[in-house]
Amino acid sequence: MTDLTPAADAEARILDWLLARNPELQAIPDDMDLIENRVIDSLDFMEFVFLLEEVTGRSNLLDGVSVDAFRSLAAIRSTFLAG
Amino acid sequence: MLQTSTVPASPGVLAQPAFARAIDRLSQLSVDGYYNPYRSFDWPDAIDADSWWMSPELLSVSGTEAGAELDEDTLRRLAKWESINFYSLNVHGIRELLQAVIARLHEPGYEVASKFFHHFVGEENDHMWFFAEFCMRYAGKLYPDRQVRIETATDPAIENFLTFARITIFEEIVDFYNTAMGSDERLDPAIRKINHVHHVDESRHIAFGRKLMVLLHDELRAKGDEALLDKVSEYLRRYMTASVRGFYSPDVYRDAGIAEPLALRRRLMADPARAAFDAKVLRRTTDFMTATGILRPVREAA
Repeated sequence: MTDLTPAADAEARILDWLLARNPELQAIPDDMDLIENRVIDSLDFMEFVFLLEEVTGRSNLLDGVSVDAFRSLAAIRSTFLAG
Repeated sequence: MLQTSTVPASPGVLAQPAFARAIDRLSQLSVDGYYNPYRSFDWPDAIDADSWWMSPELLSVSGTEAGAELDEDTLRRLAKWESINFYSLNVHGIRELLQAVIARLHEPGYEVASKFFHHFVGEENDHMWFFAEFCMRYAGKLYPDRQVRIETATDPAIENFLTFARITIFEEIVDFYNTAMGSDERLDPAIRKINHVHHVDESRHIAFGRKLMVLLHDELRAKGDEALLDKVSEYLRRYMTASVRGFYSPDVYRDAGIAEPLALRRRLMADPARAAFDAKVLRRTTDFMTATGILRPVREAA
């Protein structure tokens, strides 16, 4: 069992996923540009979107959303995890 | 995913006599095999909903524990939607590769290759049409392109090589499925035919793509940068993995009436039977790229 709220739990899973794919990183600051810094690249992107769909319980997250919505943890939080 | 670019090839890289002879031979085969796709297919009014639309051994659940839990009705529904996903992946992949090839038509460095590019573009347009036609006639939709393009600036020689490597890998993956379904008597004749016709055309495109890939890789090799060659090899391994993952589609599982499609996807991708199957799909490609030195041994991080 976890004591985290659903949003915090989702965020923790996202962070774990990103860190697992980027073992050279110790942490990912909220405002780090995930694309510029190649924390996510084109080949990872589909898997990342499926992870987001899983943790948010929403499907087709790419519909009507620009790549900027995935650009930082802060952007992901406000676009997909808030309320 | 395939990306487009308009960077020229280095002068002379594709001007070798052996390549020119191959282009002449492949171009002649295209001329000899020319057909009108709009008149070549007898589209039935409907395809039996209870029949196999895709060879059951090719389904993404085949050989897995999760697949064994599905009843036959679900598997047949899955076959229908996995076939639509397969043709949708073809349509999106072809659109991308057409953009890449058209961007290079008559660009400096591609003078020899351009002769075949015209056949390639015409034939790929035909393929895109008949795959989309199948989806729209019998399912009323295409699955959307799930790939996201993130443009990154790179060396023109790397970009040219990777463009044609991605195209050839994509075609070889697709051809594995076409070859199996083109002769599978359990499938509707219309399904067999689009797979067979595509396989015949793709055999020329793959031969062309392999030759181009090797020449463009020679150009990269001439830089003498071993770390770069390792990086390119690693990228191609990741590209192949990402490509076959497109066959594990939550959208498909949802349409087939399967609960928790994302959980099924995760479970399938963790099943050793699927790793073995995906390796089989990619074997012809990985064998070729290993034999030519394009794929290099994976080195452990220091």
